[in-house]
Amino acid sequence: MFKKTLTIFKRDLHVSYRDFMSLFMIVIPIILAFAVNAFAPGIEDTTVNLVFIEGENTETIAYLEDFAKITKVKDYDSLEKRVLRRDNIVGFVGEGEDAYILTQGNEPEDVVMFAKLLKTYSEYDRKVEDSTAIIKDFGVKTSPTKILWANMGILLTSLLAGMLISLNIVEEKMDNTISAINVAPISRTAWIFGKSIMGILVALIGCSAMVLILGLAGTVNFLQLLIFVFVSSLISIMIGFLEGVNSDDVMTAVASTKMVMLPLAASVAGYEFLSAKWQWVMYWSPFYWVYKGNLSILNGDFTWLELLWHSAIVLGIAALVFAYVAPRIRKGLEN
Amino acid sequence: MITVQNLYHSYNKDDNYAVKDVSFEIPKGEVFGFLGPSGAGKSTTQGILTGLLQLQKGNVTVAGYDVKEIKRKMFNQIGMSFEQSNVYSKMTAKENLKFYAKLFDVPTRDPDELLEIVGLEGKGKIRAGEFSKGMKHRLTFARSMLNNPELWFLDEPTTGLDPAIASVIKGIVKEQNEKGVTVFLTTHNMYIADELCDRVAFIIDGDIHLIDSPKNLKLEYGESKVEVEYGDNGKLKTETFSTLDEKDKKKLADIIAKQNIQTMHTKEATLEEIFIKVTGRELI
Ligand SMILES: Nc1ncnc2c1ncn2[C@@H]1O[C@H](COP(=O)(O)OP(=O)(O)OP(=O)(O)O)[C@@H](O)[C@H]1O
Ligand SMILES: [Mg+2]
Repeated sequence: MFKKTLTIFKRDLHVSYRDFMSLFMIVIPIILAFAVNAFAPGIEDTTVNLVFIEGENTETIAYLEDFAKITKVKDYDSLEKRVLRRDNIVGFVGEGEDAYILTQGNEPEDVVMFAKLLKTYSEYDRKVEDSTAIIKDFGVKTSPTKILWANMGILLTSLLAGMLISLNIVEEKMDNTISAINVAPISRTAWIFGKSIMGILVALIGCSAMVLILGLAGTVNFLQLLIFVFVSSLISIMIGFLEGVNSDDVMTAVASTKMVMLPLAASVAGYEFLSAKWQWVMYWSPFYWVYKGNLSILNGDFTWLELLWHSAIVLGIAALVFAYVAPRIRKGLEN
Repeated sequence: MITVQNLYHSYNKDDNYAVKDVSFEIPKGEVFGFLGPSGAGKSTTQGILTGLLQLQKGNVTVAGYDVKEIKRKMFNQIGMSFEQSNVYSKMTAKENLKFYAKLFDVPTRDPDELLEIVGLEGKGKIRAGEFSKGMKHRLTFARSMLNNPELWFLDEPTTGLDPAIASVIKGIVKEQNEKGVTVFLTTHNMYIADELCDRVAFIIDGDIHLIDSPKNLKLEYGESKVEVEYGDNGKLKTETFSTLDEKDKKKLADIIAKQNIQTMHTKEATLEEIFIKVTGRELI
């Protein structure tokens, strides 16, 4: 049975590589991760950018390199050009008495302020160790925007995984090949497992890739991530099968996925915007629990016990969905 | 190879039967034709035999298996060629066969050899989606032979094919049958049935009217006729006469005596004519 399941999976994989739409869905999580990286700044990126002329201020540069991102250009003209570019970069010109700070004029005030402070510290040769400030934190290492995006990315990825399944089923429906499978010595269960592998793998690989690309590997417990993504993709897979069985062409399948986006978005919004007193309003939605669980995983503070009961809730809802969906899927696969 | 006893089937599970009280038996090695007009219940019966439809009432065994509880293993011995071709458009012809072959637990035939048999040699690397209708049909047909089936279901195997290819397909069926393969053939086409079948069943409105060999049917119901073409005052005339009817016989003798006969053929009754005669219905 396992060999035949694998045969079904390999066929799907093979065909998906030939289909633009499917291929697109496989790479979306990766594109998305790079896009988030480009647009959502991490904490370590909120630093000042300084530009110096090569050869000038070598001592200052050595001192400031610990605190700021430093660029060197070959002469004053290049420095001027660099400062005038759209981003927020502050130019340091000259040494000693003649030294001045060159800005474009539209930089945020605190960027310029920070640059000024840095210059002062370097002039007085102050070190971080000289500070008497004591800093306490909660150990959050990643920017909240990035985590928000990563979490939505994970939700979207498992949804896409389900959609990939529905595309593969729509393919079989359009070619009318399910009837051929029905008269082959392969059990329905083996076939359904085979068809599901693709979705589960895409979800697992896509989500892992996303976490890696976003640089969250340090905080995230991958075993927890994989387990939870697996559990939550069961729901997407069922949705994928149902959509596939109910759609006669690719466009219908894509359109019905949009319908699933609605409860998904509502769950995210519910979690983020409802006060603690009203959170229960979203308890019905598996996506709510998935989002909540993912958030803890991404922040690196999901305990195994929490993972267990979050998974139990998601599986419980999945079982209810299954009870409703299974007869419909079975009916759709006959003939 | 197949036994069907008092089979009933209703799609809505009411008294409106698509198939009612159907019984027949197909011994090993026979080519059995299932003939009837559209909506007669042919596909329904075949669906039950192949497990595509749940058995509701009656006893059915296929290749030694009770159809009440379909065992997937059964399909290792069965081949099924569908009326409407159903192959993966995004896969090449050969990939289609190789994939399907992996689903069997029994030795399967070489895909290239099968492609050659159905006249698709050299087309193995083309995606089935780019095939013409007839080519897809032949691929579907070839696929049904992958597992060397003992029992072969053929649903309209030659419909829509050009005559040359249709005769190739007929040849393959005959050849397989000579090797001992039992064939269950569903068709509207009486000529194919006549040529291939050892016995045929006439089915209408879910009812089997009779089961017999084409030869017996012709002897029993067929009225043989003579078609005469003769010149009558310079004009060519064609007339058909029964060889049994006394009036016709006299007329024919008259023409032979007096006219200038050009051609003369005896015409056997076709299976189609017999069907109409027996059932009072056209085969549409
Ligand atoms: N899925 C279905 N649901 C309800 N009724 C059906 C279904 N399929 C077939 N029928 C009905 O059952 C009867 C027998 O149909 P069936 O498909 O067996 O005919 P057939 O002999 O195969 O015809 P054809 O030569 O057109 O393929 C018809 O009256 C048809 O309308
Ligand atoms: Mg039919």
